[in-house]
Amino acid sequence: MKKQRTLSFLFVALLALVVFAACNTNNNDNAAVDVPDAGTSAQDNQAQTNDIGEGALDTVQFLNLALGEEPRSIDASLTSEAVGGTILTNIREPLTRIIPLYPESGYMFEPAGARSWESNADGTVWTFHLNNNYWEDGVPVTAHDYVFSMRRTVAPETGAPLSFMLAPLLHFDEVNAGELPLESLGVRAIDDMTLEISLTSPVPFFMNLTTDRVMMPQREDIIALHGERYGSGGEFTIANGPFRIESWNQQSSIVLVRNEHYWDSDNVRLDTVTFHIMTDATTRHHAFEAGEIDIVAVTTRQWRDHFYGMSGVIPTVGVPTQTITYAFFNTDDELFQNENIRRAFMIAIDRVELNEVAFDGFRIPTYGWIVPSISVGEYNFREHAGDPIRELQANHPDPRELLIQGMQELGLGDDPSTLNVTFNLAGTDEWFRTLGEYLQQIYSVNLGVNMQINFAEWGIFFDNVQNGNFQIGFMGWGAFFNEPFDVLNIFMSETNAVHTGWANAEFDELINRAMVELDEWERLQLYIQAERILIYDEAAVMPLATTTLNSFRRDFVRGVRPSTFGDAVLKYHYTSGRP
Amino acid sequence: MKLVVYILKRLGLMLISLFMIVTITFFLMRSIPGDPLSHMARSLPEQTRANFMARYGLDQPLFNQYLIYLRNLAQGDLGESLAFPGRSVTETIGRTSPVSAQGGGIALAIGLVIGTVLGIIAALFRNRLPDYIVMIIAILGVTVPVFVIAPLLQLVFAVRLGWLPTFGWGTPRHMVMPVMVMAFLPIATYARYMKSSMLDTLGQDYILTAQSKGVSETNVILKHALRNSLLPAITILSGSIVGIFTGAFVVESIFSIPGIGTHFVTSIHNNDYTMIMGTTVFFAVLFVVMQFVVDFIYVLVDPRIKLMHETH
Repeated sequence: MKKQRTLSFLFVALLALVVFAACNTNNNDNAAVDVPDAGTSAQDNQAQTNDIGEGALDTVQFLNLALGEEPRSIDASLTSEAVGGTILTNIREPLTRIIPLYPESGYMFEPAGARSWESNADGTVWTFHLNNNYWEDGVPVTAHDYVFSMRRTVAPETGAPLSFMLAPLLHFDEVNAGELPLESLGVRAIDDMTLEISLTSPVPFFMNLTTDRVMMPQREDIIALHGERYGSGGEFTIANGPFRIESWNQQSSIVLVRNEHYWDSDNVRLDTVTFHIMTDATTRHHAFEAGEIDIVAVTTRQWRDHFYGMSGVIPTVGVPTQTITYAFFNTDDELFQNENIRRAFMIAIDRVELNEVAFDGFRIPTYGWIVPSISVGEYNFREHAGDPIRELQANHPDPRELLIQGMQELGLGDDPSTLNVTFNLAGTDEWFRTLGEYLQQIYSVNLGVNMQINFAEWGIFFDNVQNGNFQIGFMGWGAFFNEPFDVLNIFMSETNAVHTGWANAEFDELINRAMVELDEWERLQLYIQAERILIYDEAAVMPLATTTLNSFRRDFVRGVRPSTFGDAVLKYHYTSGRP
Repeated sequence: MKLVVYILKRLGLMLISLFMIVTITFFLMRSIPGDPLSHMARSLPEQTRANFMARYGLDQPLFNQYLIYLRNLAQGDLGESLAFPGRSVTETIGRTSPVSAQGGGIALAIGLVIGTVLGIIAALFRNRLPDYIVMIIAILGVTVPVFVIAPLLQLVFAVRLGWLPTFGWGTPRHMVMPVMVMAFLPIATYARYMKSSMLDTLGQDYILTAQSKGVSETNVILKHALRNSLLPAITILSGSIVGIFTGAFVVESIFSIPGIGTHFVTSIHNNDYTMIMGTTVFFAVLFVVMQFVVDFIYVLVDPRIKLMHETH
């Protein structure tokens, strides 16, 4: 059982790659089945309360943190997981950094690699004026480093797993397919300090990309020097961010030290940050209690209650992530082709009770597809869009009637107990057993359906899903960035990334319009209509809960900024009063 | 001359075994659902996927990939990890296996000595208190899972008492808890084997002969019984040695030890084909070589066994 946990990965902050199959195992909330547990710990480095308070700084500034997995690589073109992103965001300077507006909702972009930026009138050409930043060897960071980096990520021979993140760039498709030369890609250096990015069409949320690893600069000469080994170890990379890598002992620890050449080095207070690579959640908890690490993420009620009782410890709990836990229907299935049957299954679950029984009370019951942490500019989506599932529940107090209505439309009679329904779960451990038994019981009581549960390992589950060999599946999906488009476009008929087989022309039309609508309020309305079709009218997918970040830190750790889509950067952290 | 022929014959058989292991593993592994991009848990654009597959030669027909793998293997090249870009499989095994060998080797040595002694004690005091105590230890050792013992030790020695670090590797203090945990199973295993083997030996006629000749009890045990009783223990030794590397996953994960155990397990979950093959080849070579060595040790310990059948 331990193995599965370590296998799951968690998404951490910021634009790190995400998507989890939503299954959290006990020690690993937010985790995904398939990729394991990095999550928990990768989050360890970002607690979320806002206490940029004052206090006498300790003379020696250091932090000990846990990293839940060995990073696969810190080559910005080749990593795709959260832990690699955690290291990259601390050693590289993206064009901008995203910071949450706390306590208000929403986010803003602050200057980082770029000191200012502007776009043309229709938002297709963006110009970035770079800061006077330097690599750790003293070489200036230039616009050419950004151009080189993006071209390398898109080049077909690189095989970058996240290359598609750059899809908005002009000629991306042709360059990525090798049909046009790299120079055709929509990015160029006007001069050493000015970078220009051209897009195929306006992308309202383009700025979100500027914080991502795919837009971090890379040094051509360093890559040439290290060849294949580039990014595979501490000595095979180069930093231009707040920190540089002092040492990377594989599977043990990564030690970061302050980068004196960093443009904003005066505001970086930590001298040393040690990431201990710890794949076991219980070990992380023990190490936190023993004082060996300063921040720890928790994913079970038992550990949360335990740390609540400790003195000198500050909790940050219940911070919503951008990952939704959901079930999804195969709309090509002979039963679930009917929207009333899907709606019945969707509303038959009491999300508050589900959260208590199956998720340890650790998630946020969610009544729409867009999670509460996502906004359109300054408008929080959920606040403006209402709760479609709750509405549907209010309009249909007895879900069984909806089910029978759907059955009659299909000519299946009116006895739900005659239906053959199988619910697919991507895991076999106790966490999934509990969830499966609960679902079985709730559908029996509320719908009168005798449901089967199929437990499988992630690989087998995902294979079945991709081949349409399922009726209902259960997963998690994390947004890359703070824009509903990012999690709605996956339901467009041409994408079908959730494998529902669902297609709706009106939905496609709304998303296509939103994609180029620069006015935030108008865009919000389009998204709201689209989500309503997806959930209220058609129930192609069944949102259940939003995962949360829960962590505890020693009270001497200060300068921690709130973060959901925020950056896992340790630039502003410091300690005051470390014993 | 006969010995040379024998050794050559064994080497030939070992190569055939390895070839079969490599072949079976290669095709079995490729039948696992998923691919090296599955960990992203998302349906990637076709072009992104195609570019990735092409980079690692996974777009070739499977049989071609197999031939390419065999060719590289023959040249001693285990390839580059698919999950850890830029890391060679050979280097990864070279870096992690000594760590596992160090911790696991010490634990096995301790387990072997303590287990053997306990087994002898249990046999000599059969059905008396020492026997019961040893057997309780043995049952606990094989039934209590590592992931129960290890956190318990952490809680006591690191969290409560603060004597030892919770995790990490490099100093003797780091090694105390992992070695204790890893020695537990061999202690239990060898105690049980030694006890039954010792009892068996003590019932042999030649022991009775020795005793009736008036040989002291100590000498009977040390000179006559012990050596013969060691044979079954030697039989399972090769498995134990390989187990140092394959069985340490949980302990290494709990104590954050940079050993090879994690690669053995996670490479399969990651569909990291080159790493799966690399660890498999490593363990297979280790295992067949150990068996070869054990066969020689037999000869040293047991004069009844000959390397070759003498033709009469």
